[in-house]
Amino acid sequence: MKRELRYGAAALRRRPLLALAAWSVPEAVPATVSGLVVARAVDAGFLAGRPVVGLAWLAGMVLAACVGAAGARGVYRRLGDLVEPFRDELVRRVVTGALRGGVAGRGDPGALARLTRQVEIVRDTYAGLLVVIRGFAVTVIGVVVGLLSVAPVIALLLLPPFLLGVGAFLATLPMAAARQRASVHADERLADAVGAVVAGARDVVAAGSQEHATTMVAGPIREQAAAERALAATAALRTLCFAVGGWLPLLVLLLAGPWLVDRGLTAGAVIGGLTYVMVGLQPALHALMSGLGGSGLRYVVTLGRILDADGPTPGPRSTALPADPGGSERSGLVVRGLTFAYGPHAEPVLRDLDLVVPAGDHLAIVGPSGIGKSTLAGLLCGLLRPVAGTVLVGGRSAEALSRAELARLRVLIPQEAYVFSGTLRDNLTYLRPAATDGQLRRAVAAVGAEELVTRLGGLAAELHPARLSAGERQLLALARAYLAEAPLVVLDEATCHLDAASERRAEEAFAARGGTLVVIAHRISSALRARRVLVLDGALATVGSHDAVQARSPLYRELLGHWARGAEEAAGTHGDRHEKAVPDGCRSSGTAMLGRG
Amino acid sequence: MTTFAAIARHGRGWLVVLGLSSLAGTACALALPALLGHLVDVLVAGGASGRWIALAAALIGLAVAADMLEAYCATACVAGTSAWLRHRLVRHILAVSPGDGRRFDAGDLVTRVSGNTVEAAQAGVAAVTVVAALLPPVGSLALLALIDVRLAVAFLAGLALCAVVLRAFTRRTTAAVGGYQHTQGRIAARLAESLAGRRTIAAAGTVDAEIDRVLAPLPELHAQGRRTWQVLARSVAEAGVAGPLVLVTVLAIGGLLLVRGRISAGELFAASQYAVLGAGLGSLTGVFGQWARARAGARRVLEVLAVAPPPHGRRRLPDGPGRLVLRGVTVRTDDAVLLSDVDLAVPGGAAVAVVGPSGAGKSVLAAVVARLREPDAGEVLLDGVPLATLDPAALRAAVGCAFERPVLVGATVADAIGPTLDRERVRAAAEATHAHEFVSRLPLGYDTPLPDVPLSGGEAQRLGLARAWHATRLLVLDDATSGLDMVTEMQIGRALTGDHGHRTRLIVTHRAATAARADLVVWLDGGRVRGVAPHAALWREPAYRRIFGGGDTAAPDGGRS
Repeated sequence: MKRELRYGAAALRRRPLLALAAWSVPEAVPATVSGLVVARAVDAGFLAGRPVVGLAWLAGMVLAACVGAAGARGVYRRLGDLVEPFRDELVRRVVTGALRGGVAGRGDPGALARLTRQVEIVRDTYAGLLVVIRGFAVTVIGVVVGLLSVAPVIALLLLPPFLLGVGAFLATLPMAAARQRASVHADERLADAVGAVVAGARDVVAAGSQEHATTMVAGPIREQAAAERALAATAALRTLCFAVGGWLPLLVLLLAGPWLVDRGLTAGAVIGGLTYVMVGLQPALHALMSGLGGSGLRYVVTLGRILDADGPTPGPRSTALPADPGGSERSGLVVRGLTFAYGPHAEPVLRDLDLVVPAGDHLAIVGPSGIGKSTLAGLLCGLLRPVAGTVLVGGRSAEALSRAELARLRVLIPQEAYVFSGTLRDNLTYLRPAATDGQLRRAVAAVGAEELVTRLGGLAAELHPARLSAGERQLLALARAYLAEAPLVVLDEATCHLDAASERRAEEAFAARGGTLVVIAHRISSALRARRVLVLDGALATVGSHDAVQARSPLYRELLGHWARGAEEAAGTHGDRHEKAVPDGCRSSGTAMLGRG
Repeated sequence: MTTFAAIARHGRGWLVVLGLSSLAGTACALALPALLGHLVDVLVAGGASGRWIALAAALIGLAVAADMLEAYCATACVAGTSAWLRHRLVRHILAVSPGDGRRFDAGDLVTRVSGNTVEAAQAGVAAVTVVAALLPPVGSLALLALIDVRLAVAFLAGLALCAVVLRAFTRRTTAAVGGYQHTQGRIAARLAESLAGRRTIAAAGTVDAEIDRVLAPLPELHAQGRRTWQVLARSVAEAGVAGPLVLVTVLAIGGLLLVRGRISAGELFAASQYAVLGAGLGSLTGVFGQWARARAGARRVLEVLAVAPPPHGRRRLPDGPGRLVLRGVTVRTDDAVLLSDVDLAVPGGAAVAVVGPSGAGKSVLAAVVARLREPDAGEVLLDGVPLATLDPAALRAAVGCAFERPVLVGATVADAIGPTLDRERVRAAAEATHAHEFVSRLPLGYDTPLPDVPLSGGEAQRLGLARAWHATRLLVLDDATSGLDMVTEMQIGRALTGDHGHRTRLIVTHRAATAARADLVVWLDGGRVRGVAPHAALWREPAYRRIFGGGDTAAPDGGRS
């Protein structure tokens, strides 16, 4: 709780805060004069038989309300000066945290909810807290000033029980915050569990596991109800604190009444005192309690989650380095003893892999899905840190290179192509902002994206990523990578949504681009086009030319066989379906492909 | 049958306490100003006040106790009723035919279970609150009139003014907030794009530029945010002027009455307090709003509960090879016929491929056969027994179904494969479907929490297959291997077609290779069976060959060139 309050307090800027305080003075006028006006109107006016004087005092109350309204207007306008910069800071923090986390490989499904819902909650509750705390202080000061002018002795009687109630309420806040947090967590667990079961209703029924699914939800439902009841108990406790702070002063005043009247206190003064309690202190206390108990707790809990999820905003930013000419000689890869696992207890995805990809090579990596091809791509590009072993990119250790240095040496296109809202040109020149139109057009033509670019309305057209198909997005990502100056290109199933002909065109373009090409193959045809093939089969790796790998890797032979049979069956001439090996027809078509690639 | 009244009645124990305590609280609140006013008169007159003060203390004590009880009871009642409703809803959702997808989508159902149930559960509390909230303002008005009718008139006039101000307030705020939310949505959309492309951004080292790009609309958001505060400031100022008008009007009229000796000073004080209490009339809209929300929430909950679950029998399957028969099966939506009078007989133990162009009704057929969707006419028999007469547990032990996009449900990977299976059987199923290879690479293997497993489409399909693998009589695969790479698809396909005679397999597929491996092919077109024959026989028909045209497996580029 302390961290969130400190964070909020630190964000308050001095000048708007002072302005806010200054506007609070007129805002407090109605609360200050309410009891006084009533007392005078009764004593000097109505009871004295001078209705005009009484009405004049009441007119003073309306005037006070106008002054107060002007004050309130000023206060709320200044509130924007305090709240909006605070909200800006939170938005910046969430966006920065989510993107940095995402780039570091941490998936973060909650980031969007934090940006929209949670930041808004904090914005509203932060403003609410400012209004409530400041309003409370202003009212109490106003009431005390008013009471002192009506009869100082009443102030001495009212304030101790009032402050006692406030103190008792503040003491319950940490517990209330803990319960609020528990309730929010219970809500989320419930929504998650229900979401999982409802989304999987078809699958649950198909598997006949309704009982299990119901049990999955039953626990969260029970916990959520318990959390709500716990919250209700704190609400009841708050009512008790209100009794002490709001009603006890009234009783004290009444008990002291005979004694006060004996000492010459007028009817107006007693009514004034009672009015201060019921119109001033009670509403102020009520506002404070519902403000802190409602907004305040929501503020603490929600801001706490934002602060937990998105670390502090970053230190120095990396500066872009100038392009490095003549990098193509440094485009080779050397991998030694590379081992990687996703957890200390997990089977390694890669074990002790050695691989040399000389500059200018064209390597295809094949293997079943889930075997670690994308992991290897991440390791080769320096995005993942190996458990053991080294990756040298252009002769230098990938771990020792900065992101900017790596970006000048290699470009990675993952399966999920990145296209953002912006112009087509911005999207294509993403990796080479200074590219000329001629270079752009050549890149677009090379990967076969001309027709797409024309259809989208040219380079200046605004892109709407959601309206592009997966294949169109991949084509744009390919053009962008082709345009990049990095000599090493890693395509990680970057063509999986293209049809076979477009895939061939793109791969051939990259092979002819110069530099080194590594293709994580989605289709076996990618391997047939490559100069060399790496077959990943469990922790086993086989590398070599197509023929060499075919001779040594049963898996590769199986892949080729399957591919060939698919072709044959499509032609309606399938043979024995339990046949494993490959008839000659396949090999020849494989060789034919290889010759062309 | 569940109704709004039944929901309201569910927490009746709490509601009685709630009603009584709010009644007591209101009575105290109404009595107190009169009592305090009288006390003032007694005090000023120098009379004996002890008895009256004791009474005031007792009233305040009662009011506080009633308040506390009210606060607790209302929440406890809602909590209990929502829990009850949620249980019922989840059970019901899992009982109705899930393949009947035309009614509710999943996100909508989650809102209904987690959100609308709470609203609906307010039914009882809202009913009590409407009455309880009406009492203080109405009572104050009556008591004002009791002191003097002119006070009541003055009060109503002041209130009308307040209402006008509050209306203007809501209208203007909505307009200002709209622009703000729009800009916020743009930032969120940019962030979503960048997060989806995070691997590209990581590789390009452009994260700082991305942060700038996402945050570009921030100054605009800032300006719009400031505008919302300005609108609010105006409204607050208006409310500040209008608010005290009620009190001042009542005090002015009361003062004049005091001058003429119609009321005492104490009564004037009481009148001022009733004016404050009576201003609670303005908050009544909120109370009726709660009632309206409860009704709307209940309607959304009851809509789900109104869908009747399909019938079940108690029969068990006789021994048999898994012979599958469809008789006159027809499935319709409101505006289309998905399956039209389908008759089909599949010999026990056969592997049957179901092929056809998109929209031919393949998935609907699979869902009907797996009893995930009720046919509108006709019936499905397994070894001579209509599926609808089977005991639910017997049905699910005999029939398994795997999907193109399986949704995995469970706390861990093992749970998702089979929550009731022992580890050996889980592992055996995973090995048969080649899921074991990647599961064993997870940080905690089969015990890895499901949310921590980033599954590719193919991996999810393998787990989905493993989940269905235990089926003893009939295995339905609805395009369930489409996301697998070539090797795995081939291996699983071999395992599937290899276990001859053990169980019947119905395999919806787009791939010629899979159809070719099957014993029989059911060719669907426009919701009708166009042919049932081995692949090789159907292949002679050009229309049949066209189904597979353009697919990457069926015609790889080598074949095309």
